[in-house]
Amino acid sequence: MTYLFIILYAITLIYFALSERVKKFVWLLSIQGVILFGIVFFSLNEIEIFDFIFILAETILVKTIIVPWFINKVRKRNNLKRIHEPSVPVFYSIIVVVISLLISFLVSNHLQSNYIHTKYFTVSFASILFGIYFIIIHKNIFSHVVGYLIIENGIFLLSLAVGSEMPMMVNMAILLDVLMGVLVLGVFINRIGNTFESTRIEQLSNLKD
Amino acid sequence: MISLLLILFSSLFFVGIIIRLKAKIAARKMPPVLQPVYDVIRLFRKGAVYSNTTSIIFKVAPLIYFASALVAALFMPIGSLKPLLSFEGDFVFFAYLLALGKFMMILAAMDTGSGFEGMGANREAFYSMLVEPAFFILIGSVALFTDNISFHALFLNFNVDSNLAYIIGIASVYVLIFIAMVENSRMPVDDPKTHLELTMVHEVMILDNSGFDLGLIHISSWLKFSIYGALISNFIIQGSWAFYWQIAAFLGIQLAFSLTVGVLESFKARNKLEKNPQWIIILSAISIVVFLTALIITQKIILN
Repeated sequence: MTYLFIILYAITLIYFALSERVKKFVWLLSIQGVILFGIVFFSLNEIEIFDFIFILAETILVKTIIVPWFINKVRKRNNLKRIHEPSVPVFYSIIVVVISLLISFLVSNHLQSNYIHTKYFTVSFASILFGIYFIIIHKNIFSHVVGYLIIENGIFLLSLAVGSEMPMMVNMAILLDVLMGVLVLGVFINRIGNTFESTRIEQLSNLKD
Repeated sequence: MISLLLILFSSLFFVGIIIRLKAKIAARKMPPVLQPVYDVIRLFRKGAVYSNTTSIIFKVAPLIYFASALVAALFMPIGSLKPLLSFEGDFVFFAYLLALGKFMMILAAMDTGSGFEGMGANREAFYSMLVEPAFFILIGSVALFTDNISFHALFLNFNVDSNLAYIIGIASVYVLIFIAMVENSRMPVDDPKTHLELTMVHEVMILDNSGFDLGLIHISSWLKFSIYGALISNFIIQGSWAFYWQIAAFLGIQLAFSLTVGVLESFKARNKLEKNPQWIIILSAISIVVFLTALIITQKIILN
């Protein structure tokens, strides 16, 4: 059952490359949250019940509802354009995401280690690579936040890969990190939107002291 | 033999159901289901008009197009019903038979010497080229999964028994529906109802065909829809079902497929021409995910 969700996660990465509408990014992030919930639900059942419930709540509440809801609010408040044109044609992005998926599956095939669950490693590696690529190709600060969240989902999967007995503290830290990051960036976007009436990052290079 | 008859039978109604559903959704008066057949019969009664600039290629192309679609139908099994012809690796032959027909139509469009038709042929060739890897990766993955390389054996051994096999089944049906739409030049890539030559893809290629030839082209397009519908139904029908259930399921799936096409065409806006390549390449990307899934199931990629 875990494999099913891992494959679905790979498909969401492909749709991230295809879509150009900002609203779709928010939807896809939410769907990724549900998929992470599924992965955790079907794989992490030997850990303590409190940790288990906490991680489940983290995926379903934070990743599926709160973060997408918050960035959707930011999107509405700043009257973002419906479509963000990436600087690289979408055609090439799709090829890049497919190649990164193939590479990460092949790499995990060769990683025969007892300490790493390679099934999570596959999509997590692809997700981190793609998140970085996503940030590079978009010229809009809102999309940078989305890229950051894609990387973060990849890191969450990576933490599953390196052992299901992840300390509670680490988990809390990552969660706090993400929430703060998104909140701070949200405030930042709002401020930029108020000052420049646009969220394109070229505006920022004009700043002088 | 039965599978061929079923495909021919369902092809008669396929486009009729689509246009009927589209008329219903647009709140127009519905044409009879057999309206496309009546149209083709009317076309068959007429003679064909040929331009002075055309050569023999233009005259034989519709015949070859029709023949290739008909021969491709001979290879298509339905569930455990055998096709008329079958050999190892016949899916490659099948794909290139359809490609041969398309190639002849492209040549014929070039043969007329019209700028518009050359442009349409150019687009059609480009889209077919993009959609080809999707088809081969998909059928190749299913071949890897079932360890067989002829259509009949491949679908006979395609058992949906695990979660991952469901992914292969669902993704394959999804990809094949859109491959059928691209190959038949239907809505998301091309609008069969458009009236402007500049935005046409398939329609502009057949502008110069008339009478008997045009009728043949229409019949081939029904046949192609029906063949792809049969291909989709093979992913759903299991060989272990009873004989009459398989036939009922086939007809049901053809009906559902034609209704899907009708609904898609009524509600989906046509892509911008520049967005078409990226939309088509996504089919190949999903096929690659299917391929990775097949690798995981067959333990070619070992994950722990």
